[in-house]
Amino acid sequence: MNPGSHPTTRSRSTGSCVKADMRRRCSSLALNSALALGAGLLLFVANSKAAEGTPIPHGTLELVAENQSIAAGHTIHLGLHFQLEKGWHIYWVNPGDSGEPPRLKWRLPPGASVGEVAWPTPRRLGTSTIVDFGYEDDVMLIVPMHAAASMATQGLAQVGAEVKVLVCREMCIPGKAQVSLTLPVKSQAPVPDARNADLFATARKALPRAAPASWRISVTEAKDSFLLSANLGRNVPHVEFFPAAESQIQDAAPQQFIAMAGGFRLTLRKSDQLLKPIERLKGVLVLAGDRGYVIDVPVTKVVAVRRDVGDGINLADSLKEVMLK
Amino acid sequence: MKRSTVYRILVVVVLCAVPLLIAAAKVGDAAPGFSATASTGKTVRLADYRGKYVVLEWHNNGCPYVGKHYNSGNMQRLQKQWTAQGVVWFTILSSAPGKQGYVTASEENNYLTKMQAAPTAALLDPTGEIGHLYDAKTSPQMVVINPQGVVIYSGAIDDRPTTDLQDVPGATNYVSLALEQAMAGKPVQTPATRPYGCSVKYRE
Repeated sequence: MNPGSHPTTRSRSTGSCVKADMRRRCSSLALNSALALGAGLLLFVANSKAAEGTPIPHGTLELVAENQSIAAGHTIHLGLHFQLEKGWHIYWVNPGDSGEPPRLKWRLPPGASVGEVAWPTPRRLGTSTIVDFGYEDDVMLIVPMHAAASMATQGLAQVGAEVKVLVCREMCIPGKAQVSLTLPVKSQAPVPDARNADLFATARKALPRAAPASWRISVTEAKDSFLLSANLGRNVPHVEFFPAAESQIQDAAPQQFIAMAGGFRLTLRKSDQLLKPIERLKGVLVLAGDRGYVIDVPVTKVVAVRRDVGDGINLADSLKEVMLK
Repeated sequence: MKRSTVYRILVVVVLCAVPLLIAAAKVGDAAPGFSATASTGKTVRLADYRGKYVVLEWHNNGCPYVGKHYNSGNMQRLQKQWTAQGVVWFTILSSAPGKQGYVTASEENNYLTKMQAAPTAALLDPTGEIGHLYDAKTSPQMVVINPQGVVIYSGAIDDRPTTDLQDVPGATNYVSLALEQAMAGKPVQTPATRPYGCSVKYRE
């Protein structure tokens, strides 16, 4: 029996080309037609070579740089570009109910250091009772790399990473890949690498952005749930919340959404593993038809019994509290 | 409205709302009873083990996280260590037919022999009924029930949520900690954790 024959996850095509793994080739073909033949041919060759990637279970991984070189005192961005076969997924920094995020171990030239991974907005994956947060098809993790002022001004810099990644569909396969690239060290400021411009532009569009300063968001804590109230100054038909930390909310529980004028209320069931009060609720709020926004909101405790709550969970919580008095 | 009428309405509302809230057993709750067929063919009832500590271990032989604990011998060591002290250990197989980790009784018996595993019994749960009663999310999720029939631990086997065999030595084992603390009459310091691993392959 092939356990992979009953996938529970759905694959959605996110690019203009049908297959995710074709996207770079499609974009390079489009580029070719717009450029002079000689230059186009060179680009095509360069792109085909770059698109090979290092094999991981059911996909490939490639380390790319946004710039052609590095220079002392400058920060450039690296990308870990995962391309997965249809139906397979990897995980967000908070993987949800199962799985684990990719783990990176960097090998950097002397004087270089990397910052935190920028995680694209994830997607809910899984079944009705087990929900994971992750990525299908094609995803790139962007990581800043800073070159110290003391770094050399010439030569070649080897940048590498050992990446441990769990790739899942109906079943999970752990993989490990060594990826690396060589960048010239120069004295002048790094210039962008045109070959990777599309890739980085696409990846940046997938990142959650900071919540607008005009938004008013509060989180109150009830016995079994968090109530997130938001005034955004506009109506939204639906939202989805992705908690940045594990074990705060029940990942598989429905998030009860109530539209309000200029905003909404969202009830999030607390995780059974949440044993201590949390100070803040952090995560990504995805508005329907829009992108993700990073929120980080202090949690206030409900002191009085709420009587005005219009949803089942809080109503029942409140009523239980009334009954206990 | 009279006070008694308000109270009556409240009671009705609560009675209607409560069934929606009944979630699977969590730490501090009475462990839900179940009856299951073991790989040996015997019927096992949880209620028959009241008075003993019971460990539930969710299993899927194709899951790399489970593989870490069996290929390193860690799970078998724990089974032997704790059953020798009177603890009852049930390995539970909640994979649905056709899914990864689903096995017949004889396949499971062969596996137990091959791996030199030593649970009290391996319980076949192809409908996922027991898994859902305990809201088991992953293999290898672990649950510890005390002699009074109360869930005192639910979550990960240890604090290293990886598939690497080299992470087994040096890990803090939450199951052993819960059993040691409870047996010493102390409260369990870490009663709930995120149960890492592969999702349980339930029937859809």
